[in-house]
Amino acid sequence: MSKYILTFSVILISTIMLFAADGTKYGKNIQTKEKTKISEILTAPEKYEGKTVLVEGTVVNVCEKRGCWIELSSDKEFETIRVKVEDGEIVFPMEAKGKKALVEGQIYSFTVENEANCSGDEKTACSDKEKSEKENKEDGACCSKEETVKKVYQIKGSGAVI
Amino acid sequence: MNWRKWVKIIHRDLGYICAGLTIIYAVSGVAVNHVNDWNPNYIITKDTLIVSEITDRVLSQQQVSSLLIEKLALTDSLRSSFRPNENEIELFFKNKTIKAKLTSGVVIYEQVNSRRVFRESNFLHLNNPKKLWTYVADLFAVSLILLALTGLFMIKGKNGITGRGKWLTALGIIIPIIFLFMYY
Repeated sequence: MSKYILTFSVILISTIMLFAADGTKYGKNIQTKEKTKISEILTAPEKYEGKTVLVEGTVVNVCEKRGCWIELSSDKEFETIRVKVEDGEIVFPMEAKGKKALVEGQIYSFTVENEANCSGDEKTACSDKEKSEKENKEDGACCSKEETVKKVYQIKGSGAVI
Repeated sequence: MNWRKWVKIIHRDLGYICAGLTIIYAVSGVAVNHVNDWNPNYIITKDTLIVSEITDRVLSQQQVSSLLIEKLALTDSLRSSFRPNENEIELFFKNKTIKAKLTSGVVIYEQVNSRRVFRESNFLHLNNPKKLWTYVADLFAVSLILLALTGLFMIKGKNGITGRGKWLTALGIIIPIIFLFMYY
């Protein structure tokens, strides 16, 4: 009996090590051949919305708790793009930080209310009356969230090699 | 051989096989249950240091990196660097990130270490490996069902399913139902 268990364990460990060697690939195999520059996507993101792209960049940030997103640096200074993956489908490790990544995914967008103008000082969100009054004021006593609604573009990652 | 003897044999041997996996899944279960309160996979430590400012705007990213490494007397090999804006630079090393604000000289030193045992347990529990592990996890789930069912019929008499066992089993079913009524 102990011989069978030992043989089974050796086969199991060998199989695991075989698969473990494949550790730098995440998610589905990359199909797209041609790379798109991140700077080009960020310049005219609406042009790429819904399209599948292959991008390359350095991983500059990783979702700490779930590994469900990474941020890639652009080929241009001061620019990044976030790659979001389905929770659990792909889990990016923190060790990926600073490494080059090749990512395939679809460009998508969503809107966020940028509250930057509503915090840090004593301003509060405008009431409807204040909003109409504010149109005639350069610097009102409140701020309007509607004015700072922003469209954010991200990549819905399906496969990556890091 | 009566059926109860088979129930005991299945329960005993499956119990031995499943003991290791049950502990792994339980440890990970507790760890990820509290994901909002702690990081179940990594221990991330951050320290803040102050170095002399780097105000020279003409320096390239590589030059700024070298200067900062020199100021911090770092011996690790630099993996890559990134500038999120004109005033900041991030240096990436193995398991370490240095974030510096050039004009103020504030440096945040971030060290990432794996939370041993927990990270490996979470890796398996959350089926990160996919592939063959998916089937192993399925087999484990079926085994747990068998363990539960055989456990119900192992003992006969007043401590068995027809005696006190039925009340304890009912309790185990009622508890999740109460919570479903409360939160679902």
